[in-house]
Amino acid sequence: MVDIVFVILAIFAIGGGLGMILFAQPMYSALSLIVCLVALGGVFALLSAPFLFMVQIILYAGAIITLLLFIIMFLNIKDDNLPDEPNKITTIFVGGVLLIPFNILILKAFNTLPSKPMHILGKDFGDIQSFGIELFRGWLVPFELISMLLLAALVGAVVYARKGSVDG
Amino acid sequence: MSNFLLAWIVLIPLLSSAALGLMYLFSIKIVKIPNIVFTLIGVSAPFASFWIATTFFLQMIGNSEIFLYKAYRWLGVDGYDIDMGFMADKLSIFMVLFITFVGGLIHLYASGYMKNDDGYGKFFFYFNLFIASMLLLVLADSPIIMFIGWEGVGVCSYFLISYYYEDEKNVQAGNKAFIANRVGDLGFIIAMITMFYYAGANGFDYINLEASMASVPPDVLTFIGLALFVGAIGKSAQIPLFVWLPDAMAGPTPVSALIHAATMVTAGVYMVARFHFLYDLIPDVGLIIAYVGAFSALFAAVIATKQTDIKKILAYSTMSQLGYMFIAVGLGGYSVGIFHVFTHAFFKALLFMGAGAVIVALHHEQNIFKMGGMKNKTPLVYFTMLIATLAIAGIPPFAGFFSKDEILLTAFGSGEYLIWIMGVVTAVLTAYYMFRLLFVVFHGSNYKEERKLHALNKSITMPLVILAMGSMFAGLIGVPELLGGHNLIGIWLSDWRNSSLHVAHDTEFILMAVNILAAIVGISIAYKKFFKYDMKIVPQYEGMIWNKFYIDEIYDRFIVQKIKKISIFISYKVDVNIIDMVVMGLSRSFIRGGHFISKLQNANTRFYAFTMLIGISVISTYLIMVMR
Amino acid sequence: MQEKEALMADSLLSYIALAMILFSIGFLGVIARKNIFIVYMSIELMLNAINLIFIALGRYYESMQPQVIALIIIAIAAAEAAVFLSLIVVLYRKKKSLNSDVFNVLNQKDAAHE
Repeated sequence: MVDIVFVILAIFAIGGGLGMILFAQPMYSALSLIVCLVALGGVFALLSAPFLFMVQIILYAGAIITLLLFIIMFLNIKDDNLPDEPNKITTIFVGGVLLIPFNILILKAFNTLPSKPMHILGKDFGDIQSFGIELFRGWLVPFELISMLLLAALVGAVVYARKGSVDG
Repeated sequence: MSNFLLAWIVLIPLLSSAALGLMYLFSIKIVKIPNIVFTLIGVSAPFASFWIATTFFLQMIGNSEIFLYKAYRWLGVDGYDIDMGFMADKLSIFMVLFITFVGGLIHLYASGYMKNDDGYGKFFFYFNLFIASMLLLVLADSPIIMFIGWEGVGVCSYFLISYYYEDEKNVQAGNKAFIANRVGDLGFIIAMITMFYYAGANGFDYINLEASMASVPPDVLTFIGLALFVGAIGKSAQIPLFVWLPDAMAGPTPVSALIHAATMVTAGVYMVARFHFLYDLIPDVGLIIAYVGAFSALFAAVIATKQTDIKKILAYSTMSQLGYMFIAVGLGGYSVGIFHVFTHAFFKALLFMGAGAVIVALHHEQNIFKMGGMKNKTPLVYFTMLIATLAIAGIPPFAGFFSKDEILLTAFGSGEYLIWIMGVVTAVLTAYYMFRLLFVVFHGSNYKEERKLHALNKSITMPLVILAMGSMFAGLIGVPELLGGHNLIGIWLSDWRNSSLHVAHDTEFILMAVNILAAIVGISIAYKKFFKYDMKIVPQYEGMIWNKFYIDEIYDRFIVQKIKKISIFISYKVDVNIIDMVVMGLSRSFIRGGHFISKLQNANTRFYAFTMLIGISVISTYLIMVMR
Repeated sequence: MQEKEALMADSLLSYIALAMILFSIGFLGVIARKNIFIVYMSIELMLNAINLIFIALGRYYESMQPQVIALIIIAIAAAEAAVFLSLIVVLYRKKKSLNSDVFNVLNQKDAAHE
């Protein structure tokens, strides 16, 4: 049962990813990416991370990619504005071949870990309460720093995007 | 007494020269410093060294103590250590004494002579640097440290010969001296390397070298001895490397007095005496040295008889006297040779300074046939010059007599009669040309009647008087026992007497008489020809001797021109066609390579990422193969 | 709790393999595509692949810490999204192009000619 769920989620994730890099139109790519990210969120849930599953769907699929779609539509890109990509497929193929050793290496490295059952753990692992305790006990300073970073990024984005802020 | 003061003998002039150099720069760049400051520092330095040396000297009287001081390790390579070491034994402290004393007097003289020169501070900077180098040469405890001083005096000599560098002739004279010295230095270096290779294992200072000299094969010893002597020839202006010495008179007269008479040129003699442990083992080389000395003495004396430039006459006479010294050291009479170095320092410095005084008085006139009648105008200079001339001619009881007599006695006693004959002939010629100079300059009729003389001040005349005393009495430390004296210098350096000479007292008397006779013969010929010389007749000289046997021309034709041709060939053919091609080709290929590689920086991020991917791939493949 | 034997979903390696495949796709997107939007999305995909590895290892070791790290990565990705998208807007306004190869003023040729 879990196997089937996992396989279906994996197929969706990989398919979404491939779709993203193969579509010429960024709009289609973004939609494929949403598929991919939602499927990944499902995999997170399989790994006993319900809170992150929620975050993934709400924040990534819901906020970030929506923002992206918004920008794509906002810029109103026409087909003429899209760059020519004649040897896209060749590069993907060559790059894929070159990436094989790297993947094998990583998998070989993880293969040395002893195998262990990975079934879903009980309620108190990965739910919002235990997550919050972990976050605010052990990771308070990084959390605060992240908030600073987000603020800085917000200000930066506003400054960049303001009309006339950059010459030309 | 602590031995570190030995280092201060060298350090005082060195530091004062550094101070003078900086002050001179300050003086010409920012604010003019009065000459009196330079005088005080520059003149006091050699006398301070003299004072320290005296304290050492007094401790050495009566015993044979050797003072050693190792300042610091200068070079250390895998067990072969060269220390910056100083050694004062009887020979070196004796040299230091008269170098600092005569040198100090010449400094004093120079303060008057150079009074109106723009580069006054610079001059004393060179002078003190020279004294420091010379003292380092003498006080060194190993050949390498000696070589530092050796090169130091060489470079100071170069600076001072071309002191008036506005005139190209002087610069060329400086170059000539420098190059001729380089030839000699090559010999010194070769000798040092060979010595280090064969005898340097147990330490490279004189004491250890002396101990390990016996184990060196005799052929090698001969080679070392000859190579060292080539260095001595270069420094001491013997045949065939003498050509620089007459030209070196282009420098100011104090330079001639200090460097080219009293101190630097005797470095070669000192070196042979210093390496006496080497030359004791190879008497054949010693004989060669003696013959070279004898030929140089005779040769220079012959040339000197026909010169008209007062300083050149003295230069050739210096070379001639150096020849005497080499006769002595070559035949193993080291103490005799050093004795002549000692007396020579006094009277030759005096002669040069007297000549300088005359030159100054006559507004830089150097031709003796344009002087004349100086006796009444500068009586003090006349009397001191007379003493010096008597000393160099070998009239008792002046200094030169005793030392020259000892040298000729050594030659006769060693059975080298040819050398002895050459020595006697040289003595005749010496007396002749020196009195020719004296008579023409001081007794001849006035060249021009109404000539206003440049006044001589105290700092010029005072050293003359002191040195005149020295020329009179310096010989008394070496009065032979025959005349009821004690040969103090022989006793002082007695350890090194190669072979005690056994000459019958009668023979010794006869030899002495011959010497005096030779001097008198020379003087009388000069008297006959030049006393009350009429200056209206300027002799026209020509021929072999006047042209110095065409030695310069021969060297020019057979050595200089050939080297020039080779140089031109290398410069225009080899350099342009081969060296430049390689060098320029290399640089061009680097530029091209750089342009090619710079194309990789194309700001295309995807390209960078792809390159990174290739790297990741290669590294991963390697790691997969390594990982099991 | 244990249901039946799950082969793939029970092995750490299958999660890692999925993460690596996604990561590779992301990387290929970066090197193969010129469209700057797609480059951005590929980077997001790579971040997610790394998140997956973190979470899988967290499950493997039964630790909450990797999940916190994953959350932090998501937060940084959000910040990055804001900056990156505003940059795209600016660049598109300037060059009227989405081709990432156009943005190459730092190359050697231009630097040498200035």
